[in-house]
Amino acid sequence: MAERGWDSMLLYGNAWRKDPFRSLVNINFSGDHALARLSRSGEIAVTFSDPWDAETASAALQPDFVRAFAGGASAIAGLEFMEERFVAACGTLPISATADVEELRRVKTTEEIGYIKQACDLADRGYQRFVDIAEPGMQEFELVAEVEAFLKENGAEDNFMLIASGGTEVVGMKPPTDRKLQKGDSITTELTPQVNGYYAQICRTLVLGEPSPGQLKAFEIFSEAQCTAQDLIKPGVTAADAARAQNDVFRKYGYGDYTGAKYTRVRGHCLGLYPDETPHILEDVDYVLKQDMVVIAHPNTYLPLSGYMVFGDTLLITETGNTRLNKTEKKLFTK
Amino acid sequence: MKRGLITWDKAELPQSVFEARLARARAALVKNDLPALLVYSDVWRSNEGRHLTNYMPYWNRSLIVIPREQPPVLLCGLSPRVYPWIKSVTVFEEIRPASKLVPTLLQLCAERGWTKLGVLDLPRLTHEIYAPLKASDLQISDVQFDLTDEAEIAMHRRAEQMAQEILAAELPRGVGLTDYRFSGLLERAFRRAGAEDLVLLFSTDDSAPRPARGTMLGDKFSVAVALEYRGHWARVRRGLSL
Repeated sequence: MAERGWDSMLLYGNAWRKDPFRSLVNINFSGDHALARLSRSGEIAVTFSDPWDAETASAALQPDFVRAFAGGASAIAGLEFMEERFVAACGTLPISATADVEELRRVKTTEEIGYIKQACDLADRGYQRFVDIAEPGMQEFELVAEVEAFLKENGAEDNFMLIASGGTEVVGMKPPTDRKLQKGDSITTELTPQVNGYYAQICRTLVLGEPSPGQLKAFEIFSEAQCTAQDLIKPGVTAADAARAQNDVFRKYGYGDYTGAKYTRVRGHCLGLYPDETPHILEDVDYVLKQDMVVIAHPNTYLPLSGYMVFGDTLLITETGNTRLNKTEKKLFTK
Repeated sequence: MKRGLITWDKAELPQSVFEARLARARAALVKNDLPALLVYSDVWRSNEGRHLTNYMPYWNRSLIVIPREQPPVLLCGLSPRVYPWIKSVTVFEEIRPASKLVPTLLQLCAERGWTKLGVLDLPRLTHEIYAPLKASDLQISDVQFDLTDEAEIAMHRRAEQMAQEILAAELPRGVGLTDYRFSGLLERAFRRAGAEDLVLLFSTDDSAPRPARGTMLGDKFSVAVALEYRGHWARVRRGLSL
């Protein structure tokens, strides 16, 4: 704040984007809004819109949350996610502190890494549960219900999860449908459990029955791409380098067309208080990766060989390389 | 987060319900002499868009545009790969990819010759969308109209009934479990019954309910459930005292 000349900063969170608020005050609020006011001298004042949150945290309650912004501030982290009536209540339009705070958040502390490791452990156990219970005849949403139940039983605050099942017609993942799993299906999922605010992720593909030659060939490509990125990622490497390394593997096998936006989103992303933190791992993102950042490298995309396939692990960037935080075997799962 | 079954049961919510809702939106446009209505939607703020179109972004944000005399258009932050699924559970026939929402919206307005636009509940529009819209040549104004109808109320009742029934059946099973374990048990029951989203809070004394934190539930505790069933929320709190 001193560097920027800011006297005061607000950190805002809502039910979707709690992360700007939780980066300073790590309370899992359950109401609509939360606000932390930080002075340059380090004093913090917290306001919630929900009385239960206020009571639990022994903090101020402001049901008419517009009033929480009275007096404004020099800058706001989470400004972009605020309702315009809140921004108007600040008086003078504040500067966005979102990018500055996100940059501070990218390099994790020892305590934060500890939470992410716990979340990774839960992701691994959750995926094992996923494999154990998936069976022909089960509907996608029933499978997701079981995994959600397992993760909550074991202490997850939340979980971001997508799924898809089927064959070469499957082009992407989405929330679960009522489709019944069938023998021969490729079932893709990403599990992203949250522990004490921090998310970790795992992406794996499970084939019910014997994998087809196309599924096996596709997995070889995905595995090589992910391993190439994992071997490369270290401080000083850019997000673009990590993306290009993965995409080049697909290009080498003649599948370069499937590395673009038509078939895939990103080749990975950072993890922390938000499950899809920036920088994204894309060939046009020149952000230089740093020690103690946590990223997932996942070359998830559609291939005509297999349909949509996913494969990825959470990686902690160390002084000289990275450590894979997931322990789940790196293979195409079959059952 | 949203991760349960998202679907459109047309026996439960017929197409005609959405046609009537869109007609109300269009009547508001006529009343305000506006060519189209903008409805903001994200993972958390999805109720208005869901009411009008059955669309709920399980991730990311979207803008719903309801022209006065044409079908609604979804400007979607999600990948085109999921558009067939979105079309299967919503009223949309036209979905435009919109990694940059406001430029895509401005392009649509230019194509259609619109110089002004109504925004449902403008003061609550997120700053990220409001600021560039306000800075554009487009004239934006607040539009309010009643979003309640009998079908909406019936769905909230259905959600509340689900919450009441499952809690009544499951509450005794929480005795002697940690709130984590009981959360899992409730997640399984609610999600299998079709809940889209679920927020569970626990209290073991007279203090405010709070998220699970590993506390042992004795023979006196309460659970507060916020349940989303097909876009419709219900909040129920029940206590157990043996």
